[in-house]
Amino acid sequence: MLYSRSGSYSLISEACRAGALAAIAELNADPALDLAFLPVERDPAGNVDHYGPLCEEILRETSARHVIGCVTSSSRKEVIPTLERFGGTLWYAVPYEGFEASDHVVYTHACPNQHLLPLLDWAMPAYGRRVYLTGSNYIWGWEMNRLARERVTQAGGEIAGERYLPIGSRDVGRMIEEIQASQPGFILNALIGPSSYEFLAAYAELGRRDDRFLPGRCPVLSCNMTECELPALGAAAEGLVAAGPYFRGLKGWPGNARFGSSHEAAAYVAMRELARLLAGRPGAETISLSQLLADDRAPGIIDPETHHTRLPAIIARVEGGVFHQLFKRDDVAGDPYLTRTALSPVKPSLRVVS
Amino acid sequence: MRRPIRIPELGGARVVILHRPHPNVQALIRQLAAIGLQVSQSWPELGAEVIGADYVIFDADMGHDGMFPWSAGQPPMPMIALIGSEAPGRIEWALRTGAHAQLLKPVGDNGAYSALLIARDAFDAQKALFAEIADLKKRLDGRQTLVRAVTLLAARGKTEEQAYDQLRQMAMAWRISFEEAAARIVASRDDTDPDGRKSQDG
Repeated sequence: MLYSRSGSYSLISEACRAGALAAIAELNADPALDLAFLPVERDPAGNVDHYGPLCEEILRETSARHVIGCVTSSSRKEVIPTLERFGGTLWYAVPYEGFEASDHVVYTHACPNQHLLPLLDWAMPAYGRRVYLTGSNYIWGWEMNRLARERVTQAGGEIAGERYLPIGSRDVGRMIEEIQASQPGFILNALIGPSSYEFLAAYAELGRRDDRFLPGRCPVLSCNMTECELPALGAAAEGLVAAGPYFRGLKGWPGNARFGSSHEAAAYVAMRELARLLAGRPGAETISLSQLLADDRAPGIIDPETHHTRLPAIIARVEGGVFHQLFKRDDVAGDPYLTRTALSPVKPSLRVVS
Repeated sequence: MRRPIRIPELGGARVVILHRPHPNVQALIRQLAAIGLQVSQSWPELGAEVIGADYVIFDADMGHDGMFPWSAGQPPMPMIALIGSEAPGRIEWALRTGAHAQLLKPVGDNGAYSALLIARDAFDAQKALFAEIADLKKRLDGRQTLVRAVTLLAARGKTEEQAYDQLRQMAMAWRISFEEAAARIVASRDDTDPDGRKSQDG
């Protein structure tokens, strides 16, 4: 397990860790399984430069070949060369910006065709096509906003403004001023951690001063906000709209909907799938992921070409501190390079006639 | 003057790999399939399917002239060199062959997507430049004609400026370019004898 127990995104890594540990406890207690998991933990403490060396330590000093961990894309990119060198596999359980399909990674949370694109397609008819883009200064913020710009301008919309903050910065004043001046229809928030918390608090304050910026008229949309960060937001989360494959209490996920957030659920599902791939195959714990998938006879959740999973796209809004579902699109396969997805929104009523 | 960068549509795009069967090719095919391309493999020569390919990835280590059904350095699609030995002679050959981007061996987990995008952009830029150069060349060649046309018109008692202006008006009246109008004047002059009559024997 390679999750940061401290640092700017620790709420998310703790949620993932809880989901993985819940699955491990359940699997280890299952008498029908011929395997047990022994977690080996390393804590990069939110420092991107610790991920590579700690991943190498796990793969070099222990017999573990499967690592569940990483939250930011930067940290994931850091461990991939190590996974390649040692034949290891990373199970990655958080939403990300796509454009990756490593032979050594399984992606059990959503990529843009499963979060950002359905979210924008839902939001533009409801709130108009003028969008303000915010983001943290790293790959998630940059790529999410690039995709959003492409999608919005293709739909005939326009970008009212776009501004970034360094990770950890709370300097949101300029963004709030620009939003007030440019009056977008909605805001896409690709900030992470404290920047995001500060921004949402300042925007809620703006809404109290100026009712044009209340969530009902100009909401903030997010592709990575889940229940695990609501305690950090408090009342500022009210009206926040998020896209994700799961929200607390929704049916249809393994584990009877008992997870606190989609991060927890996606990590839980990852461990269950790993157990399924290893069960009944003595020695399988040292086999490479590609071989495990090639030998798998049952229909697993992992697409053998992209290593992504099929997920629903659920759009939900925080009301009274709880996410309530507004819209649900059925499961679609993860399409990391957006080469299997129509880039302009297609009406669901259109069908191929043969 | 910079062209806008275009992210190419890669879903279903066809790529031909020109390389002998090898684990490097397997790793490359895995990457390309994950991205969503249709991959075919050819060795030692490119099959007919290459004509319809959107990208060609070729072995720079064992490749040689004559593998490609087009003139050296003028591929009709973006080309990516697969380079193992970074010997200057081989890189020189790959460049002469028309490589727009490269991938290093051993091929691992990544690299194909950026190579495809960079090759496409370099190919488009090259094509646009060639077209612009051809156009400029044509206009440069036309300058001599222009000078002759103005001289011919000026010979009828006009100043150079008046002749130039007349040529411009002719081009506008005929709805053709300045250069084309000049070419017409010169051609009509060449067809006539010094007395201004149409020559009989062509």
